[in-house]
Amino acid sequence: MNELKHYLAPTSLDQAVECLKDGDVTILAGGTDLTPQSQAGRVKIKHTLMNIRHIPQLSGITLEGKEIRIGTLATITEIMAHPLVRQHLPVLVDACNHFASDQIRNAATLGGNICNASPAGDTLIPLLVLDASVELASMPEAKLYRHSMPLSTFFVGPGKTRRSLCELVTCVRIPLPAEGHVARFHKLGTRPALDISTISIGIAGTLKEGILSNVRVAFGAVAPTPVRASQTEKALEGQRLDEATIEKAAAVARDEVKPIDDVRASAWYRKEMIHNITKRILSHVAQA
Amino acid sequence: MSLKHDIEFTLNGIKRRVTVDVTMNALAMLRDVIGLTGTKYGCGEGECGACTIQVDGVSLNSCLMFAVDCDGRNVTTIEGLANDSEADALRDAFVEHGAVQCGFCTPGMIMQADHLVRSGCCGDTDSIKRGIEGNLCRCTGYKKIVDAIASVSGAQN
Amino acid sequence: MSVAEKKARVIQPDSLIGKRIPKMDAPEKASGKTRYIHDINLSGQLHGKILRSERIHALIKSIDTSAAKALPGVHVVITAADVPDQRPIGVARDHFPLKVGRVRSERDEIAAVAAETEEIAEAALKLIKVVYEDLPVISNPEDAIKPGAALIHPEPHGADGSHEHLKQGTTIAHKGKPDNVAMTFDYAHGDVVRGEAESDVVLEDTFKLHYVTHCCMGVSGMIAEFDASGNLLMYSNTQVPFLHKREFAEYLNMDPARIRIIQPPIGGGFGSKLDIYPFEVICLYLARAAKRPVKMLFTREEEFLASPTRQPVLLTLRSGCKKDGTLTFRQVHTLHDNGAYTSWGATTPFVMMQTFSSLYRVPHCDYHTAAVYTNNPYAGSFRGYGNLQATFAIEQHMDMLAEKIGMDPLAFRLKNAQDAGETTGQGMSFKSCGFKDCLTTAATRSDYSRKVQENVANRDKPGNIKRGVGMASMLHVGGGAKIYPSDGCGTILKMDDFANVTLITGASEIGQGSETVLSQLVCEELGLPMSAITVVNNDTAITPWDVGVHASRTTFIAGNSAIGAAKKAKTKILAVAAKKYDCAESDLDLRGGFVIKAGSGEVVVELSKLLRNLHFQDKAELVMTTFYYEPPSVHQDKGFKGDVSAAYAWGTQVVEVEVDTDTGTVRMTKVTGAHDVGRVLNRLGIEGQIEGGVVMGQGYALTEDLMIENGVMKNPNFRDYKLVTAPEIPEMDISFIESMDGEGPQGAKGVGEAPSICIAAATANAIANATGVRMFELPFTPERVYRTLHGQTPKLYWKPWKAE
Repeated sequence: MNELKHYLAPTSLDQAVECLKDGDVTILAGGTDLTPQSQAGRVKIKHTLMNIRHIPQLSGITLEGKEIRIGTLATITEIMAHPLVRQHLPVLVDACNHFASDQIRNAATLGGNICNASPAGDTLIPLLVLDASVELASMPEAKLYRHSMPLSTFFVGPGKTRRSLCELVTCVRIPLPAEGHVARFHKLGTRPALDISTISIGIAGTLKEGILSNVRVAFGAVAPTPVRASQTEKALEGQRLDEATIEKAAAVARDEVKPIDDVRASAWYRKEMIHNITKRILSHVAQA
Repeated sequence: MSLKHDIEFTLNGIKRRVTVDVTMNALAMLRDVIGLTGTKYGCGEGECGACTIQVDGVSLNSCLMFAVDCDGRNVTTIEGLANDSEADALRDAFVEHGAVQCGFCTPGMIMQADHLVRSGCCGDTDSIKRGIEGNLCRCTGYKKIVDAIASVSGAQN
Repeated sequence: MSVAEKKARVIQPDSLIGKRIPKMDAPEKASGKTRYIHDINLSGQLHGKILRSERIHALIKSIDTSAAKALPGVHVVITAADVPDQRPIGVARDHFPLKVGRVRSERDEIAAVAAETEEIAEAALKLIKVVYEDLPVISNPEDAIKPGAALIHPEPHGADGSHEHLKQGTTIAHKGKPDNVAMTFDYAHGDVVRGEAESDVVLEDTFKLHYVTHCCMGVSGMIAEFDASGNLLMYSNTQVPFLHKREFAEYLNMDPARIRIIQPPIGGGFGSKLDIYPFEVICLYLARAAKRPVKMLFTREEEFLASPTRQPVLLTLRSGCKKDGTLTFRQVHTLHDNGAYTSWGATTPFVMMQTFSSLYRVPHCDYHTAAVYTNNPYAGSFRGYGNLQATFAIEQHMDMLAEKIGMDPLAFRLKNAQDAGETTGQGMSFKSCGFKDCLTTAATRSDYSRKVQENVANRDKPGNIKRGVGMASMLHVGGGAKIYPSDGCGTILKMDDFANVTLITGASEIGQGSETVLSQLVCEELGLPMSAITVVNNDTAITPWDVGVHASRTTFIAGNSAIGAAKKAKTKILAVAAKKYDCAESDLDLRGGFVIKAGSGEVVVELSKLLRNLHFQDKAELVMTTFYYEPPSVHQDKGFKGDVSAAYAWGTQVVEVEVDTDTGTVRMTKVTGAHDVGRVLNRLGIEGQIEGGVVMGQGYALTEDLMIENGVMKNPNFRDYKLVTAPEIPEMDISFIESMDGEGPQGAKGVGEAPSICIAAATANAIANATGVRMFELPFTPERVYRTLHGQTPKLYWKPWKAE
């Protein structure tokens, strides 16, 4: 009845990627998605279940040069509490604060949130506007191989990413924001957290003398993946954040997204909310 | 046959070894394999908190955890708080404040509240409410639960 | 101790009434030691699972269970064909536990398995092959009553087209139904035509109420075992064990005397366990066939799919008043979505019509309901029993009428509110009535009238957050409801040699705190501390008859019964003491565990000592009493008139909201409630009932929505069926109006259902106050509110339907 044949809990990265070589492996980290999904039969566990929680290289939050490295096993609670994140990436703290419940934040990992690739994934929107990249490890030959990929190109569809079956996401790297960097996140739902977003919005950029540049805008729950909004970014890039710009950008944002109807909201309402909340965030940024 | 695995972990202060199905969650292990029924099944999806336990000092939904992932860890259930004076105070507060009606959510609620009190995460009633947002209660309307936790943590409004 | 000191010993008067008494079973529950049905396992026990329909409406062409039967570990597989003695179940006896030939809704039971483990049982279900032939789905009650609509329960026909009963029998399950109308109710007093002619203002609006469900935290379950002599023992979550004992006997064609029901502590009730559901009867069939105990537990998804719901209602209300604010008439038509089968939801008009006829003084009232079959989930009873739906419409019209005639909404309500001593057009007689006190208390404490004005003035100011305040009131039975031949409850009271009391009551405990309040009443009579009492309340082989936990009746009915038994014990004790100490019975009383002198409080004898003397004398006697209380209410006549309850509860709630006009999000910031509860018995318990009810009402108003599309439930989980969580609750300010009901135990009235009833109506009024826009459809989700604010919600109109 069950094709699961092996349970492994490797203690080093080399062992883990070695094991991934045959590609028929289900990876277990925090377990907050995999456990209920597999219990309900929505996800079938493959030939091997590999628990990566005992691999020290996958943990920790550190400053490496001009980047903050967050290990794939860092839990949402650890990220929220970490001084580096609190100092440099308050927008990520904000998003984590709207993530599920305390119990889930204590278990869920950043790597898990990324690899589950939910269109409404709470950490994904701030990471996108922070220009985060993911590091992937594999063992094509006998040697450990690592490469990076911008998060903005990582997602393919709901639950689908560019990670190959032989790869493991080891960490996320986020460049230290430059001076004048502003970033905001808003999750629309009826509860403070424990809620799947109706929509979520992240906006970041450098604000100097009222002009916004290096603009990054990302939307959640309006497409099969979390998405960067290039038209909206264009409408804002290099512009003074006055009422006309804000209204124009909000209108562009509404036209740019192509959401669907589901049990949480209609496409029409989602477009309206993209407009209204984009406008609200930009107004706050302008007034700040 | 489903794949089995032997694990060893500390449960309520006592080391123990158990053979579990690899696909089993920690909730099923606690209730059906070990026979500790204080941890409740409410939804199996981490949405209700009735199955909250503590692992290595933090609160988790046992339905969202593979039983094999308990290996080598320190697990506490509601039964493990039986001889703990801090937990006694919390339990008494739940009783005195009328925070218990049907009681089905109560063990999970107390496991979460105990975690909040110990980690100092309940300085005011708003943070207590946020702290128990993952624990559903259908009877009380939460107010008396929040009051009970606040009385122990010394939270102000 | 010297003789002088002993003589001086005086016990000061004290009372348990109105105190904050912790719930007696709370320490066990808070320690995780309480064994709910989920936690009980019998040796030799098998696990039962049910195969439900994959289709919404279809004929069952064939069922193949052979592979399931062959799976190792499977003991029994049954379908309707394996249980030829199945009898129709439900309020209208319109379905079989295992469906015969046809499925009519998503939850329909087709087959069941008993196996060694739950996993094996589940695997076996997957091996059962069912061939269906789809039929058209009716998911909208308006479609169900259109001429020529497909029938949900057609009369069975033979191959030659001739009418053919499934079996000899007269129930709907046997002979079908020529239309989709499950039940109708028609009530009237006065003359609405005259009432309308006298009106200066007339309003007509349609309101739409949605599906919600109980979401008890403990999922449904049952354990059944037949002993070697064929006697049945059930561990059940029922709220009405004595009625169900009789009903289960009917379904099993056995003698009710051979059925024993034990009720383990229950993870929430709220009305959901008033009917017998197919899974319970199927569990009995499995146990009977397997000759082993069978345990059946739902998953949460199954709990959503196969539990009862609150009844969805489409309601058109026409009401009028004079310029001076006098109500003139009300005319109501409702269409209830019955779902595929009939449970208690169909009978909620009993309660709804009371609210329409009697919450305010209405000289002319006309009420009609049709509950119609669809292929949707079927509706049961749920805390409030139709009153949330009725109040939603009435209390919005009260605000709208007041606005039309330019009257303050509070003054308008006060002008039409009932008083003590009145008998309504429906024959309800209000012996105690604190309605006007409720109105003024809630209004004063919330500063209602000032805020109403202020919010209107602020409506057009800049900013996306608009504040609103809204009021609604309710009338509900508070002294039982005489629906069954008896609305009574029995008590057995036993005292031991140490002056401890065992209270054996028929009243079931479902988390509401009945065991504590009943103990309080008994200890109050007998002058004993709460530590001196033990309650037995969960075994039909021990406890005396009670009609069940429903209609907010337990404190009132079981309370009076417990007091009756305690008074008999007290009389006996005082008679013995009077004889022994040579004084008049009236000179003695019981207090603090002693027999005392009634005037001075001086100790006469320790009660335990007196009881031992009584026990170990030559003519040994024990103090054991029984009492059966039947309330002085009456059955309604065929026109639904009569004083159905011994007392009535009243309440007013003021809801304050903040509406975010950018998103449509409504935040409930404060609820100020004033409830006429007769008298507060256990302050801690009653606060808990009110607070819990308010938040349940908040969920009904704002977040909970069981979405059914073409008969398919879209959100059978807590992720998308949103219960209120702790950070969302409003500030609550609750006042109790103590009208001291003459019939109530220590003056108290029932309150269990009251607090949920007004919230949705008051919230609608608050949103209208904040935005000037009226919401006629629940729930007030952000999208619905946003759409309505932007004029994107077409005006609802349902043209009342009349039977041909």
